[in-house]
Amino acid sequence: MAGADRAPGSRVSFRQPSILPGFGLTFGFTTVFLSTIVLLPLAALVLEATSMHWADFWHTVLSPRALGSYRLSFGASLLAASINLVFGFIIAWTLVRYEFPGRKLIDALIDMPFALPTAVSGIALTTVFAQNGWIGQYLEPLGIKVAYTWLGVTLALTLISMPFTVRAVQPALLEVQREMEEAAETLGAGRFYAFRRIILPTVLPALLTGFTLSFARAVGEYGSVIFIAGNLPMKTEITPLLIVIHLEQFDYRGAAALGLVMLVISFVMLLAINLIQAWGRRLQIRIAR
Amino acid sequence: MSIVLDQVTKHYAGLPVVNDVSLDIGDGEFFVLLGPSGSGKSTLLRAIAGLSGVDHGRIALHGRDVTHVAARKRGVGLVFQNYALFQHMTVADNIEFALRVRRMRAKARRERRRELLRLVALEGMDERLPAQLSGGQQQRVAVARALAHKPEVLLLDEPFGALDAKIREELRRTIRQVQRELGITTVLVTHDQEEAFAMADRIGIMHLGRLLEMGAPHELYSSPATRFVATFLGAANLFLARRTPDGIQIGATTVAAAERAGGERENEVVTVVRPEEVELAATRAALSSGYLASGTVDEVVFTGALERLRVRLEKHQEHTPLLSSGEADSTPTLQVTRTQHEQRGFEVRPGQQVAVGVRRVHVLPTPLSSFTACASSAARAEALTHQPLLAELVARMKTRIGTRIEPQLGLADAPCQGRDTFVGTTVISSGELCAQEAEWLLRRGARDLLALPPQAQVPHRVLIHWVGEAARSATLAISASVLRHVPAEAVYVGIVPGDAAGTGHGQGMRELLDARSEAQAAHGLDMRTELHYGEGERQLALRLAEAPGQMLILGVTALADFTTRFQALLQGPWPVLIVRRGRA
Repeated sequence: MAGADRAPGSRVSFRQPSILPGFGLTFGFTTVFLSTIVLLPLAALVLEATSMHWADFWHTVLSPRALGSYRLSFGASLLAASINLVFGFIIAWTLVRYEFPGRKLIDALIDMPFALPTAVSGIALTTVFAQNGWIGQYLEPLGIKVAYTWLGVTLALTLISMPFTVRAVQPALLEVQREMEEAAETLGAGRFYAFRRIILPTVLPALLTGFTLSFARAVGEYGSVIFIAGNLPMKTEITPLLIVIHLEQFDYRGAAALGLVMLVISFVMLLAINLIQAWGRRLQIRIAR
Repeated sequence: MSIVLDQVTKHYAGLPVVNDVSLDIGDGEFFVLLGPSGSGKSTLLRAIAGLSGVDHGRIALHGRDVTHVAARKRGVGLVFQNYALFQHMTVADNIEFALRVRRMRAKARRERRRELLRLVALEGMDERLPAQLSGGQQQRVAVARALAHKPEVLLLDEPFGALDAKIREELRRTIRQVQRELGITTVLVTHDQEEAFAMADRIGIMHLGRLLEMGAPHELYSSPATRFVATFLGAANLFLARRTPDGIQIGATTVAAAERAGGERENEVVTVVRPEEVELAATRAALSSGYLASGTVDEVVFTGALERLRVRLEKHQEHTPLLSSGEADSTPTLQVTRTQHEQRGFEVRPGQQVAVGVRRVHVLPTPLSSFTACASSAARAEALTHQPLLAELVARMKTRIGTRIEPQLGLADAPCQGRDTFVGTTVISSGELCAQEAEWLLRRGARDLLALPPQAQVPHRVLIHWVGEAARSATLAISASVLRHVPAEAVYVGIVPGDAAGTGHGQGMRELLDARSEAQAAHGLDMRTELHYGEGERQLALRLAEAPGQMLILGVTALADFTTRFQALLQGPWPVLIVRRGRA
């Protein structure tokens, strides 16, 4: 350590000696950048919300309509992230492990939801799943309604957050050495056993990351959902939409209050998942047993 | 026998990666598969482990046919070059993996683990993660893990590749010790000949998918049968020499031929002189061994116990050119190693003139020595030496290509212009005049004749056929030699006159089987066999026209057979090697 070598009394620095120059510049840039585009706006939001009276705040935040929207927003997001956990993994697996014609094309298609304006995704989904849509017309006789129900919301959120899981898991799967599986095989393990004890534990951190990203993306989604949700208060109204409704009525404080609640819940959930990841090392070992 | 491989073949993208390998490995034997990278040795090991299937052939472990048995049911332990430890598990969990799969009780598992850790000298490391161990320790864990379920066969795939020299040696000793203690049949794959010598009971050398030779390390080193093995196992100087009734004439000296009296008449042979069998002295009279030539010392390198020298030989003897000394340079130099004792006797410096003697010469039994491109003009002969297939063969066989100009080539009754003997394999260009040229050369004593179409490349299938018993064994020997240098499929084409219902069928089948077993027994050449019905020349032409990339090796005895029946085959876009033996 450079610090230990110095004469006593010299200035203590937390700078790690590094061959790469430019720490000062890049660190300064990081701070400024994060402050201007992330921390300052968030602070403004908190400030705006806290300028309300407590009673007003609670009234806005705990109104039945708001509570209903939290349930839908976070519930559907969790569900969507869980669906992606399973199917995103399968897609990533297929893309990494198998060589088939059109693989590159499918690989490129994964990113489509990133690039598409979310409103377009919403309209497309509605067209397909509406009562007279391509798929909707066959689901209708079975009594399954997708468009304008919570199912539709989940579907839209699943679509737009799917790339996050796939892209998070892909590199981890690439890293699982084929030889590790082969070793397991020569040691007598069947396919499923090897999958559960070797592959799953190895990609688990990446899976959790993918889950987190998917979830975070789904919670913040607005554009695609409003088309397919039908936006019935208490039933198919998501929190971001409720915020927009408040804004349209020039109720900036109400909007900020709801925003603050989303911020806090999201933060707590993300923190929890990150804690699980940190603890993942031990979890991995346990699962492997 | 612990491991029996029978004609194992594995193709990848149409090319044989493992080509007809048959091998028996005894109980408790330490067998090393040695070969350069891409020789198919790892693929063969994976086939034994069951990690990759085979396209053809049979694999048996301890008398049980496992060709179609999954890897997990074969009872083998496999150690990989990159350890392939389970990174998220502790050493203990890694080692117990196979035992957990088999639902062994915790107490028994723990005991077995202790035993294994003692065996590989890693006691007390149970709770470490692989990332916390050094490379050598990780590989020890991998060995212990592979032995946990008491496999009947231990397979090691370049296990020392990722380790540095010192650790490597230590681990070598450990593995050999463990192997002896358990008496477990072991196959090790490596490209390092020193490693092979140090560990093997028996070495099998692979090249281009074929198992070229196998035997005890010292046998392979002192009397290799092929140029590849001679130059791959240690350093070797290859010479062209003449076999005469008195012995092997090499340089100015004639050495008594220890191996194979060689009943045939005088011919050209390829000989191996190991660097330590070369003697240097100030004058010819001071040599205690047979005088080879005089030369100039190019380079002297001190390497501790030994001194390595390069000596440039003077070119005065036309018939004993130095072919190769391992490196691909235009003017090969003689490699010499000398002990301290020899150095004290006669000190040399670069630039010094020395007399070179040879203590021991080993004659390779290969029937193909050198090539001579023969044409009617110098320009054509020169062009022929650049033919891609020929250039490739010469490079792979580490041999020499000469030219011979015969202005009257192909003109009936015209005499030979050059020497009246033909040495090695004579090469002509395919084309309109090819048939006449071939006949002309065969009439004048050429024995091995290669007709090459200008664009022919290295073939992927070699068809073998002969007429007349006298040509049989030479054709097989030459085919085996060609196929050692060409990664192609060998097919013996038997032809029965008439049709399938005819009387010749049984006889034809017998001939096929005889040819096959002779090729296997005498030359280690595994070939497929095909039986066709009808006229020989027509069937061969049909077979050759079926696909590109084929070559024909044709043995003939009577010249009339060639002129009346097979001449037309030389017109096609495929290379033909004619082997003529027997009464002229």
